[in-house]
Amino acid sequence: MIQVIIDGKTCAAEEGEILLAVARRNGIDIPSFCYEEALAPYGACRMCLVEVVKGGREGITTSCTLQVTEGLDVLTESPEIIRLRKALLELYLAQAPRSESIRALAARYGVTRTRFTKKTVRDDPLQNRCILCGLCVRVCRDVMGVGAINYIGRGQFTEINTPFFEENETCQGCGACAEVCPTGAIAIEDIAPNRIMKSWSGTKVPLKTCQSCGRYFAPSPFVDNTLEKLDTALKAALQDLCPDCKRKEMTRQAILLSTGTPLPMK
Amino acid sequence: MEPQRLEEIIGRYPTPTGKILGILEHIQREMGYLPKDVLKLLAKRLELPLSELYSIATFYSFFTLEALGRHVVTVCMGTACHVKGAPELVASLKHHLGVEMDETTRDGKFLLTTDDGEYTLTSARCFGACSMAPVLRVDNKIFGYVTPERIPSILKQFGWEGNHH
Repeated sequence: MIQVIIDGKTCAAEEGEILLAVARRNGIDIPSFCYEEALAPYGACRMCLVEVVKGGREGITTSCTLQVTEGLDVLTESPEIIRLRKALLELYLAQAPRSESIRALAARYGVTRTRFTKKTVRDDPLQNRCILCGLCVRVCRDVMGVGAINYIGRGQFTEINTPFFEENETCQGCGACAEVCPTGAIAIEDIAPNRIMKSWSGTKVPLKTCQSCGRYFAPSPFVDNTLEKLDTALKAALQDLCPDCKRKEMTRQAILLSTGTPLPMK
Repeated sequence: MEPQRLEEIIGRYPTPTGKILGILEHIQREMGYLPKDVLKLLAKRLELPLSELYSIATFYSFFTLEALGRHVVTVCMGTACHVKGAPELVASLKHHLGVEMDETTRDGKFLLTTDDGEYTLTSARCFGACSMAPVLRVDNKIFGYVTPERIPSILKQFGWEGNHH
């Protein structure tokens, strides 16, 4: 273990840990949009800028890409950092005027309006809320192993969608993209018997019916791909049951086991 | 493009996943553009998400996803050419080639091909020949100090025979 100083507070950390993670663990809330523990450091959104005062390369850097070393001393809310963060938030207010999370964070820093032209694209699949942080792209590709979406174009016209803006056959409808999206830009709706990825060119993913109660409960390819990764016994026990029926089935088996009358699975 | 030809192109690159740009460039050189079905085949073959290839193909202005005409007329829309009358050149070219824009894309880019597939009209940002503004290029030949009046004589060098309509 090593010691680092964040806003004057001494914190214990493992050498090489990400500063942003160390700070949050110690109750110091550095804002960020594009940081996700499960993914490699990216440093895209710039919200987590901190000022290194001592013990490292002095100056301003993103805390989500900063690996801690012994004696590192940083400030997360110095006047300069606050000035930069306010400017960034003004830019984000223009880029994603419809995002409530952006507005909320901006308000926290006293930023309620922007000097920049607000982006208002009619029928924007991402509802004028996307800040291009790349979390959805990365989680789809790097965690789910799918890569249904990516950046398209470049510069101020960059957007995120499926290739050729067509319904995507590789999308398994897991919804991880919407889950990680920091601005609530991605719209998904379940309209039986499909899950509609409204933001992703209307990609349709079939939903699976629970074998026991008949309810639609999850996208079919997602369930199938997940089951593929489990061992045979567990796979057999879980197959095609919705969470409620799964719970009942497991409880039933646990009771039968504890009463000493193991029965074959239903 | 035949799947076998694509295999040959891929085969030229010892580490295909690190040479996507090279492969795409190669395909475009042979086909004139990046056809959707070839991109799909390439994605499958390299075990890469199609979204990755599409992202690259749309990032670089060098790549085009639409079939181009036999001759490509590119008007420089850089700052210097713009103030020296590039928009008038575009208007003149549209008139002479008989192409119209259905709608302007959000980024203001256009790619217009004549019905007979002979000419494609498009724009680019700064050829680096600002001293000769306004500049346009037909295939690989650059023309400087272009005026709308000179457009017909330029086009005639490339087989154009008067108004298409």
